[in-house]
Amino acid sequence: MSAPALSARGLARHYGGVAALRGVDLDLVPGEIRGLIGPNGAGKSTLVDVLSGRAPGSGGSVRLFGQDITGLGPAARRHAGLARSFQRTSIFPALPVGAQLDLAARRVGATDAPRLLDELDLARLAAVPAEQTAYGDQRRLDLALALVGPPRVLLLDEPAAGLTAEESLALADRLRELARARGVTVLLVEHDMEVVFRICERITVLELGAILAEGTPQEIRRHPEVVRAYLGSAAA
Amino acid sequence: MSGAGRIAAGALAAAAAGPAIAALVPPGVLLSLLAQACIYAILALSVGVLARQNGMVSFGHAAMFGAGAYLAGIGLGAPGLLPAEAALPLAVLAVAAVCFGLGLIVVRVHGIAFAMLTLALGQACFEAANKARGVTGGADGLTVALPREIFGLPAATFQRAEGMFLIAWLAMVALAALAALLARSRFGLLTEAIRENEERARFLGYGTVLPRAAVFALSGGIAAAGGVLYVLYNGFVSPETVHWSVSGSALIMALLGGTRTVWGPLAGAAVYFLLREQLVEVTERWLGLLGILLVLVMVFLPDGLSGLPRRLRRRHGAEA
Ligand SMILES: Nc1ncnc2c1ncn2[C@@H]1O[C@H](COP(=O)(O)OP(=O)(O)OP(=O)(O)O)[C@@H](O)[C@H]1O
Ligand SMILES: [Mg+2]
Repeated sequence: MSAPALSARGLARHYGGVAALRGVDLDLVPGEIRGLIGPNGAGKSTLVDVLSGRAPGSGGSVRLFGQDITGLGPAARRHAGLARSFQRTSIFPALPVGAQLDLAARRVGATDAPRLLDELDLARLAAVPAEQTAYGDQRRLDLALALVGPPRVLLLDEPAAGLTAEESLALADRLRELARARGVTVLLVEHDMEVVFRICERITVLELGAILAEGTPQEIRRHPEVVRAYLGSAAA
Repeated sequence: MSGAGRIAAGALAAAAAGPAIAALVPPGVLLSLLAQACIYAILALSVGVLARQNGMVSFGHAAMFGAGAYLAGIGLGAPGLLPAEAALPLAVLAVAAVCFGLGLIVVRVHGIAFAMLTLALGQACFEAANKARGVTGGADGLTVALPREIFGLPAATFQRAEGMFLIAWLAMVALAALAALLARSRFGLLTEAIRENEERARFLGYGTVLPRAAVFALSGGIAAAGGVLYVLYNGFVSPETVHWSVSGSALIMALLGGTRTVWGPLAGAAVYFLLREQLVEVTERWLGLLGILLVLVMVFLPDGLSGLPRRLRRRHGAEA
């Protein structure tokens, strides 16, 4: 069997006395879109931070297609093929949209920036400083900065945060197309269950810094603990 | 016309304006003032480059300016060791090199803490200039005798207002053009991206310390070039040149003119010198009045005077 695209073992992280991650194991199959859900404060963003090298873990290891990247910083992980987006939009406000995407592409020797601008409906904004674009455009720019290349594994922390339900679904469909066409493995943190159930083959549920369940959308929907801890009656 | 073409055309036009100004202004106090203004405009330019590309506000650039002046002065004072033609560029390169090394450390410090750090480092250089009597002449300063010729020009050319005004004007235009070309290069775009969002730049795969240190070095080198011209013109340098008030004036010029554009600090230096000339006639408190003007500019024109055309364009656009 080939190595998992991304493989984490025993990831831990503490904030002072708070254990935000308590020994998380995770394996992403190459090419899959994995959903990561859980209540507020479950540790989803912390997991993405530790996987992407933003925050040091206080234990555990991370492998990318078999390569140990545990000790690498964010820039080295990007070169190894791991990219991410941010829950709070993280772009370059004063720079034109097209220029920032070029900057992202150039570093990894990518040539797909113009096409990606087109596919994410940003081409008309190429010359506009990002701060002068609409919120939804900025969210897609954040995604584009991570997707250009493409990377081998993409960690998306609530890419649809702050969008309307309609916009979220449209973005999810676009994301699925783009990831499929490029063969990118995706870990998608998302609050909107409709989005997760629609585009993820498998879903991991995090609660209080530990994995509560993992399975197909059907399994997760019916999982009694998940329903109790997170979905409540909304998913019924 | 491409961006680089526009910069070249602008630089050529500005360079040509130099002799025209020199011809129009009668030699004397006013031309001497203009020569000094160009030299300090180069210092303001260096402060602006650091602010524009790195988003860093320096309260210590007189140290680089003074270091360039002292090193050039020391080099010129030992003609057996080095010809002046080598000593002057070496002074600039040495300051840039030290700034690069220093930059690897200080660019990790952000915001107010960085400003305070530059203030402290600047004052340390001021103390050093005062204390190292053997090298700098201490509080008495260093008197520098120029060799008979430098770069084929007679020494007097550098020490007369007519000559130095032209030299400093051309140096100022050339350095501003260099800074403008850098700003629109790939490297310039990268440093602006790091200025805007250093963390995201790292997640795009970029190292952020080296580019920021390189900008710090370039900024230090530009300041040092101003210092070299200063010592050539005055034949003298003392700790006063390294004083924090010099750093402060340069920062005022840069902020008055605005650091969003490369040429803003040059405009700021022009306004600073012209106003100072008018104000000292009227009151001893000219610095206070300039301070009030700076506050007004910062409140009503946060991008400085050079942001005015853009603002007007926008307002016009909004009404149209
Ligand atoms: N910088 C920090 N300092 C201290 N505690 C933190 C910090 N960041 C997160 N935490 C804590 O760690 C826990 C996990 O937070 P995290 O942001 O990873 O959750 P999340 O699942 O992403 O939540 P959300 O759905 O609200 O985005 C929470 O208890 C949170 O309060
Ligand atoms: Mg989160």
